[in-house]
This record gives sequence, structure tokens and C-alpha cells, in this order.
Amino acid sequence: MKRIPLTALLFATFAVLMPGFAAASQDTIGIVRNLVGEATVTRGGEVIPAAVGTKLLVGDTLMTASNGSMGIILRDNSTLSIGPGSSLVIRNFVFSPAEGQLDLLVRLSRGTMAYLSGLIGKLAPESARFETPVASIGIRGTRFAVKLDE
Amino acid sequence: MSKSVASCFAILLLATACASTQKPPPRGAFILLLPDDQGKTGSIAVSSSGGEQVLSAPRQAVRVSAGTPPGKPFDIPEEEVRAQAGPALDALPKPPVRFILYFKHDSDELTRESLARLPEMMRTIRERAPVDLSVVGHTDTVGDKPYNYQLSLKRARAVAALLATKGVDSSLFDITSHGKDNPLVPTGDQVSEPRNR
Repeated sequence: MKRIPLTALLFATFAVLMPGFAAASQDTIGIVRNLVGEATVTRGGEVIPAAVGTKLLVGDTLMTASNGSMGIILRDNSTLSIGPGSSLVIRNFVFSPAEGQLDLLVRLSRGTMAYLSGLIGKLAPESARFETPVASIGIRGTRFAVKLDE
Repeated sequence: MSKSVASCFAILLLATACASTQKPPPRGAFILLLPDDQGKTGSIAVSSSGGEQVLSAPRQAVRVSAGTPPGKPFDIPEEEVRAQAGPALDALPKPPVRFILYFKHDSDELTRESLARLPEMMRTIRERAPVDLSVVGHTDTVGDKPYNYQLSLKRARAVAALLATKGVDSSLFDITSHGKDNPLVPTGDQVSEPRNR
């Protein structure tokens, strides 16, 4: 084989990171990592019991019973969880940093959620949005900076 | 994308005050900003009914009643955080940890600096058990595509094999090669990019 200058970079992720984050934007966007009690994933009208390792797609609705909670990791390394009696839809998720395409749109219709931002929150915070029936939330910058708008 | 992924993470916690039955819409929301594991706090904007409030200090919260603008932000004590959102916070997975390793030129042998990180990697794997591992090979865009693909795959396998000799269960590995098609730092073809090595 001809000798050519080659270099390689390798990284290992401990916990869950989906491979192919630019190539395969149509399929898996995340995975269920933590689960307590009863929880389901609804996809195209089909209700699937959630399990640790369940792969998630855009449009999935995550639901928990009154004894349930569920935590997921998305492909941009952000983490998201819902508490008991909750319902949440991942309305959009695009993570193609090479093409500059980043988007996260989540709607919580009842219950509780927590979110820890990942690369989308770092690269393009304005691309991450959270809706509820009463208010919407956007990420504004990533530093201590108080700016109050009323 | 820089190889440094250290950043200031925003945690936001959102609780809708839900009625006991499932049908009626939530009457209000309680939104809370928290620091990340490193103690850093991001910033979020809460908007409703034409009004907006920005939260940017740890344990700052805001209440919103349906059909009204958000109220003024206020600070809440640690115990109140647990009371409002304990189960959801307990369910939040730890963010993945990423190690970037480098190799000697045209070889599947790690550089001395990268090899020296092995104990740290093993410690992380033990601390975070049970774990899933992704070993992803990348290259820069210099050189032949199939050769780069094979080389980065060989390197990914070498790392997996190294970890396996230290007792990591090999069924945990997901090994992929991105070759030159998906460099960590995007460049044109035949560009020698140090951050992709």
C-alpha cells in the first residue's frame, strides 16, 4: 500500500453516544438510560413499554405513570428526564454540526421535566426550545449574565 | 467543533402544576434554573403572553399562571428544589464523558500521552458502571478514503482491545470508524487538520 500521511483521532464515550452523528440524521436521536416504575414511548400511535436501552426517534412521546420516571440521553450529549405523571414529545431534533444544522424542540404537556444541555446548547443555544401549555423556555447564552426583560 | 467539550451547562427544570385528572390543561408552570455538576449556571428565558423573564443565577425560579406573563424571578432554597422536582432530577442521566486519544503516525499505536490516560479511563469506567462505550475513529481529510477508513477502524479496535485486556467487558463496545467523511473539525478535502488527528 502506498505510503500517505495519515492521522486519526479516536474518542471513546463512556455512557451513551450514538455513532454516526452527522451521517445518520434520520434514525436514532437518543436512548433511554434511566427508568423507574411504569413508562412508555408512543410512536405513530403505537405504545411501547419503555426499557433501559430503548432507542428514540423524532416525534416520540414519552409518558410516565404516577409511580414512574425516565431519563434519556440525546445524541448531542444533552440529558433530559421526566418525573411522575408526565408527558413529553420530542418534536424536533437535528444534530449535524458539520453542516451547522442544530435544532431541539421539546413540548412538555404535563408533569415535570429536567434538562441538562449538551452540544446544541453550547454551539447554538438559541436552537434549543421548550414549550409548555402555559409558557415557553429558551436557552440564552451559557454564562453568568443577568439581563432582565419585562 | 473544538476538541474541548468543557462548557457551561444550563440545567432547567420545569414543572407544570397538574391537576389530579389528566384532562384539564396545566394551570401554571414553575421553572427553575440549576447549576451543573461543575457548579456553573447557564441562562434561560421564560416567555408567555407577551412577557419574558430571564433566569441566570443558581436556584432562581419563576412561576407562570396560564394566560399571564411570567412573574418576577425569585431564589429558592435547596430543600425546595428537591420538593419540587426530586424524582425528575434523580432520573436525569449523567452526561457522557469523552476521551480523545491520539496515535503515532500511520500506526494503531497510541501516543505516549494518550496511553498515559489509560488509568484515568479505567477509573471513569469503574465509577460510572454500568456503562456503554462508543469507540469512534476519525481521521483528517489527507489521503485515500478507504485507507483512512480502515486505519481509523484498526485504531478503534486497538483501543477496545487495550481496554479489554484491563478487564472491560468487550460486549459493551460499539466500535465505529468515521474515516475522513466525518472529521471532528470540518475541513475541505486533503486538508491537514491537527484537531482531527
